[in-house]
Amino acid sequence: MEPDRAVSGGRRVTRREAVAAGLMGLARRTERPVAGGFVNDSAGLGHRLRSRGPFRAPGRKARVPVVIVGAGMAGLCAAWQLERRGFRDFVILELEPQPGGVSRWGENEITAYPWGAHYVPVPGAGSKLIRELLADLGLLADGKWNERHLCFSPQERLYLHGRWQEGLEPAIGATARDREQFGRFYERVREARATGRFRIPMAEGETSSPLDRISMAEWMARERFDSPYLNWYIDYCCRDDYGALACDTSAWAGLHYFAAREPEEKGPLTWPEGNGWIARRLAARFHGRLRLDSPVYRIAPAGHRRTVLTETTEYTADAVIFAAPTFLAPYIVEDAPPTGDFEYSPWLTANLTLERQPKGEPAAWDNVVYGSPALGYVVATHQSLASVEERTVWTFYWALAHGPASRNRKMLLDSDWAFWRDAILDDLARVHPDIRDCVSRIDVFRIGHAMSRPAVGSVFSGQRKRAAALEGSLLFANSDLSGFSIIEEAQYRGVTAADRALRRLGGR
Amino acid sequence: MQVVLFLSVFLIAACGLVYELIAGTLASYLLGDSVLQFSTVIGSYLFAMGIGSWMSRYLTRGLVARFISIELMVGLVGGFSSTLLFFGFAWGRGFHLQLYGVVIAIGVLVGLEIPLLMRILKGRFEFRDLVAHVLTFDYLGALGASLLFPLFLVPRLGLVRSALAFGIVNAVVALWSTFLFRERLRRPGALRVMSGAVLALLGIAFAGANRITAAAEDNLYADEVIFARDTHYQRIVLTRWKDDLRLFLSSHLQFSSRDEYRYHEALVHPGLAALPDARRVLVLGGGDGLAVREILRYPNIARVTLVDLDPEMTRLFSTHPALKQLNGGSLTNPRVRIINADAFPWLERTAEMFDFVVVDFPDPTNYSLGKLYTTVFYRMLARHLTPGALVVVQSTSPMFARQSYWCIVKTMELCGFSVYPYHAYVPSFGEWGYALGALGPYRPPATLPAGLRFLNTATLAAMFDFPRDMARVDAEPNRLNNQVLVRYYDEEWNRIAR
Repeated sequence: MEPDRAVSGGRRVTRREAVAAGLMGLARRTERPVAGGFVNDSAGLGHRLRSRGPFRAPGRKARVPVVIVGAGMAGLCAAWQLERRGFRDFVILELEPQPGGVSRWGENEITAYPWGAHYVPVPGAGSKLIRELLADLGLLADGKWNERHLCFSPQERLYLHGRWQEGLEPAIGATARDREQFGRFYERVREARATGRFRIPMAEGETSSPLDRISMAEWMARERFDSPYLNWYIDYCCRDDYGALACDTSAWAGLHYFAAREPEEKGPLTWPEGNGWIARRLAARFHGRLRLDSPVYRIAPAGHRRTVLTETTEYTADAVIFAAPTFLAPYIVEDAPPTGDFEYSPWLTANLTLERQPKGEPAAWDNVVYGSPALGYVVATHQSLASVEERTVWTFYWALAHGPASRNRKMLLDSDWAFWRDAILDDLARVHPDIRDCVSRIDVFRIGHAMSRPAVGSVFSGQRKRAAALEGSLLFANSDLSGFSIIEEAQYRGVTAADRALRRLGGR
Repeated sequence: MQVVLFLSVFLIAACGLVYELIAGTLASYLLGDSVLQFSTVIGSYLFAMGIGSWMSRYLTRGLVARFISIELMVGLVGGFSSTLLFFGFAWGRGFHLQLYGVVIAIGVLVGLEIPLLMRILKGRFEFRDLVAHVLTFDYLGALGASLLFPLFLVPRLGLVRSALAFGIVNAVVALWSTFLFRERLRRPGALRVMSGAVLALLGIAFAGANRITAAAEDNLYADEVIFARDTHYQRIVLTRWKDDLRLFLSSHLQFSSRDEYRYHEALVHPGLAALPDARRVLVLGGGDGLAVREILRYPNIARVTLVDLDPEMTRLFSTHPALKQLNGGSLTNPRVRIINADAFPWLERTAEMFDFVVVDFPDPTNYSLGKLYTTVFYRMLARHLTPGALVVVQSTSPMFARQSYWCIVKTMELCGFSVYPYHAYVPSFGEWGYALGALGPYRPPATLPAGLRFLNTATLAAMFDFPRDMARVDAEPNRLNNQVLVRYYDEEWNRIAR
């Protein structure tokens, strides 16, 4: 987790400014120099995979019944299911030095912090599979959620018209019309929920829908929702969950976010390291069978079996669970199905080390600024029991949703760290004028293909259905088979693939 | 040249008006009745200006040097006016005299300025132009100052720094006048040195203005401040009036030595006197050692562990003679162990078990403190209790914050405690509430330790009775994911303290 490079920056203060400041006591105090750099960069490796080489030939051979490719949440949950059913003869191959995928985490002397997914909505009574996983991790016992890990209050706040309000639905200055439309929107959501077509996992719901053929923004217009507050809120939710604007998101997916959940407790579940808390616990169970730093560069059929090539070992497996993002399959798997329909959103996350809290009201867990192009920040020490917390880490989330994804990916790669540092600090300075006096370090994680994007017409695409339905020696398992990246879908796809692998191994 | 001259007039006028406004504002802040204060301050100020104008006729020679000296005097008196008045008020006597003294002094000096300046300039302009120009800029300056004062100066700089900033402006006008009129000055060097000295004095005061304000505020406590320190966590202030010692943490009253025994006897004895076999006691919060003093009355107690966040607090109450006398030297007693730590994380780390726990945290005024009143906290506490142990929680006022009080009771009940709510009257706090929690059976004690000043067994029995206006009301339990207690508390105390 060493940053690629640490660049010291920050504005220098001239002597004249310093003298003037001392004399007048008016000028801003010296800003802290900010350290940091890019972290977790693996774009190089990704591009090597996509350009097919060069990779070393493996020196060893191994026969393993089940090989899981990718130790993100889907791969870890596939392994969890195999173990749960008493099957331990598998390996997990992960190209990164750390498990977790988009649930990876970091740690410094202050706290652990997330690099991506950072919470799990409290599941309703109907979501059996995810409840089993959470119960297994000690989060649910005798029907009661472990309060230590339910998000502490205050959970969310929104900066609007110059002040913070509780909750993310804009309330300050809301008109009767805004409130009426929010009410009507939730009425639509209740109706949608009652149809039973919007389920988690989504595969338990409907298999096609006219709603997938229009965008969320179009649906809003058709329903005559013109409240700026409601439209901002829906657009924010689409960016937050899918990394896409409401006009680029399938209306089915946009509604699914609201209609598929019925939490039975005020949540969500969250931890300092985000969903890394789950990833590290699962990974620890598979210690010895989890191979990190092991990029798989070739998967080929070999009779009834398949060979899986890393730079050290050639594995022969009865079943390969491909839990990495599905769009990588054509570059690795010899007989991969087409994946052109799979779209992904580019993201940027940054962890900011704060030497002190900015002035003003204490932060909530999730802090959002109305009208910002970014998604706001989450406080990593929020779940701390301490009553005094001076230093902290903020995770800043930014889905690059405006404009074409390819252009945003290029911008992610082409812009240097100082550009992102300034962009992040400028965004935060609008609500925390003294932020530059607080931040001592900004580490930036660029993710070209972060979350699956449920673009218009893509959720129920034929390619997705075919990849998800594969049975045999190659099984797909990533959450992108569902069209959107949420932990429940990752778990469902991982568990389904594990069950099929066991079926293939002999009717278990 | 001309422009600079009239700029001087503009600035002088602005300064003059700002001092007047500062005096008026300060008098309204400190004495109230703003109509009266502003009227009398403006009246005496204008009257003093008249005196100054009249006196100007007696100044005949060395007009420029006189003008510059007057500027420097205005800068000093005006610049330090709000500082002087703050301290004057804090020290109590004769504030009115000081207020009008300062107002009249500045008024006289400001009254001298314009007539002198007009006489200095009279050779350069036609008389009718001179009068027109000088008065135009004079009034323009007044307009500028009257807009700047409420919109920028008071909100951004505050009264102390505003006055100092305009003192600096006066001194700068003095300094540049030594250059503008250098041919009419015999010893410009000396005047420049003086201007420099005044500028430096005002500049230093401006840079240290925060300390000036803090020092003045200390003196705003009603009684004599005998100790004040900013620690890492809070501001500790100790005051004394005759035999009454009072402790303020971040300006919240913690106890008055005149009735703290009521609070602390009621906190400790209903629980601890019922546990004749108790040996280990935990006190969370309570760095003043007063609860510990009550606990040490029991010879059966072998060990008291006191966990308080602020090392300055426990150090102060272990060493200050008056405070040691108050807590009976409890914090230096060999049976007492002091741990300076954040209580919740400490409790999570430790494996120690206790027979009696005193939870004496500040009221749940914010989310950080609210965490210490949640189900997670009480459940964690329960894991550190020996069989038969008791817990007592200071629980704010069931009279002023009724729902908050019963919310704490409800929260403890949800965590498996049988709760025995009781209350006592502490004059400096009002009607105060406690919640005694037991995992097993509890019976109020039949005997109490000797030497108590408040409790006897009859009073004790009565404390468990709640009159109608404090009787139980429904409340949500306080959880980490709702923090309802902070909301109840905020709402209820806001209703009391308008």
